[in-house]
Amino acid sequence: MNKFWQVTWHEYSRHVLRKRFIFALLSVPFFIAITIGLVVLIIWMQSTPTPVGYIDQSGLLANPVPRPPVKFPERLIPIQAYPDEAKAMADLEAGKLQVYYVVPADFLQSGQVTQFYKNNPEELAVNQFNTILTANLLSKQPADIANRILNGNQLIVQSVDKSREVSLEGIVNIILPFIAGILFIVAMSTSSGYLLQAVVEEKENRTMEIVVTSVSPGQLMSGKILADIGIGVTQLVVWGIFIVLVLLLGKPYFSFLSGLTFSGSMIVTLIAVMVPAFVMICGLMAAVGATVTEASEGQQIMALFTIPIWIPYLLISVFIQNPNSPLVIAMSIFPLTAPMSVAMRIGFTNIPSWQVLASIVLLVLSAIGAIWLAGRVFRLGMLRYGQRLRWNEIFSRQRV
Amino acid sequence: MHTVEISHISKSFGALKAVDDVSFEVEKGEIFGLLGPNGAGKTTSIRVMLDIFKPDQGNVNILGGPMTEAKKDRIGYMPEERGMYQDIPLDRCLTYLATLKGLTPAEAHSRMVRYLQSFDLMSSRYKKVKELSKGMQQKAQLITTLIHEPELVIIDEPFGGLDPVNTQMVKDLLREQRDKGVTILMSTHQMHQVEELCDRIVLIDHGRTVLYGRLDEIRRQFAGHAVIVQTPDAIPELAGVTNIEKHNSSAIRLNLAQSTSTQDVLRRLVEQGIRVDQFEIATPTLDEIFIRVVQKDNQELGAKS
Repeated sequence: MNKFWQVTWHEYSRHVLRKRFIFALLSVPFFIAITIGLVVLIIWMQSTPTPVGYIDQSGLLANPVPRPPVKFPERLIPIQAYPDEAKAMADLEAGKLQVYYVVPADFLQSGQVTQFYKNNPEELAVNQFNTILTANLLSKQPADIANRILNGNQLIVQSVDKSREVSLEGIVNIILPFIAGILFIVAMSTSSGYLLQAVVEEKENRTMEIVVTSVSPGQLMSGKILADIGIGVTQLVVWGIFIVLVLLLGKPYFSFLSGLTFSGSMIVTLIAVMVPAFVMICGLMAAVGATVTEASEGQQIMALFTIPIWIPYLLISVFIQNPNSPLVIAMSIFPLTAPMSVAMRIGFTNIPSWQVLASIVLLVLSAIGAIWLAGRVFRLGMLRYGQRLRWNEIFSRQRV
Repeated sequence: MHTVEISHISKSFGALKAVDDVSFEVEKGEIFGLLGPNGAGKTTSIRVMLDIFKPDQGNVNILGGPMTEAKKDRIGYMPEERGMYQDIPLDRCLTYLATLKGLTPAEAHSRMVRYLQSFDLMSSRYKKVKELSKGMQQKAQLITTLIHEPELVIIDEPFGGLDPVNTQMVKDLLREQRDKGVTILMSTHQMHQVEELCDRIVLIDHGRTVLYGRLDEIRRQFAGHAVIVQTPDAIPELAGVTNIEKHNSSAIRLNLAQSTSTQDVLRRLVEQGIRVDQFEIATPTLDEIFIRVVQKDNQELGAKS
């Protein structure tokens, strides 16, 4: 294994095998799992098995059709028929029913039922009884019409050129690239923070002087940057696998996930934008680390780069209202705001190819520039203790 | 062929000229002293030598030519400010730094174990570096410097902060390395250690070479025409002795006229029945030479400015 790989593996393993990294890595899936668990628990608890009663005076439910199934975690609440109100009321008083309904003889004309309860019934219980009524009202209709009415309206909004359409079911496809962009940037920020910290620490504990007499500054810096990208990718892979699993497993149960599709072009665009952005940020972090003398100072300077990355997120309303406005287009092309802007616009609009291309080209050029800058600053500033490197020194003709 | 050839190197940082036309050579298998007051340019010279800094002017030849990446594996360097990863276990730190010197992980591991045993650090191998005492960290740093069996060792202030036992250990180690044929360039302020260990020295002040050569020749060059005599008797006036002064609590210094040889003085002392316990030609200590040269240099620079 040559020295470049030694540096890469050392940098990667010393961060990834730390307890605090593993904790941070698993905390995202953990909190997502906790949130999903709570949602499931709430739905499960809301579909309490305390029965719902009814007195059918209309004859609609004399020979009821089979009950439409419910999706996990909702439970099927028992629905009991009562011959008269007195018996139903007695059971309600005894707590054997959470609610009962009287379906009057003129129900088919009035469309109204009367509800009796002591405590507000669960919404799911009311919904399940309504579904029973609707299913029985539609029992004489053809199955496809009955199903369409039972499933409700599906409003699809289509762009004039028909290249895009959005529906309530497909809302997840708007949110997905946005979430992917946020995860990418969180991974990028945290792992490039590790890089900054590693460089400053090596300066502070004077290990840098030993290391640069063993490997070239170029090998050292590129090894660190690759390791840093590896750390970010590790985070993304772990989080990505978990999120995809959640989406795929949840798709049959949650209606808002039913329209979920993974678009190849979205994935390719995100990767093409994020990878050079990642390299650019790493280069800038390495340069900052070599310039400053203390970790706290480095974090302050780092904010100069990380704040612009999040600006598009703060201007989300502008992106939603007009995802093709000049401001939004400018932010999609400016290298520091491009990653988040492109991720958001993928969901909200069709980004013209030239804009995506311009964004990628500028990011690649910025990444190359950041690496060049990092290399120069690294050589000039790596052994500068107690005195910060000045900009005019960086761009002077000094040999490095 | 010299192991190190420094030829007229200069290096500036902004307006500060840290090294100004410094030249010296280090011969194979010697312990060479790089001396100078604080801020004289010693560390910058070492960093230029190791290609950490590029010189503004001048050339460096090391191990037979310009510095290359491959040559880094043949050099062991211990900087003045000790550098070790603090947050990882000692064995991992040593193995990693050894692999950066071109050893395979297996080689690095086996040598690391051997060195830890010989430096009595085996019981601390799994401790984080920051948990080790200063002396232990110093030993660990020495292991890092020597583990890849370098041909050239560059060691900056090797005795800083060491107790007498560890100082002796480092001296023994340096001699042992020299006996194996390793060339050692040592930068230190501790002149008595230089007198004990070094064959040749260079003294740098204000970035310039002010003294360079064999240690014994330099001392002879700075020796006055005098002898040191230790005797229980009072010394009378002697022909050829211009004056007598106290050297220390038990010895006196006889300054001689130019025409008088030391043999003449010894003969006259014996002829006069003076009991002579010790008789030696007065040569200055390296400390005295250092102070004299640096003060003279400061005066010259002061006069110029």
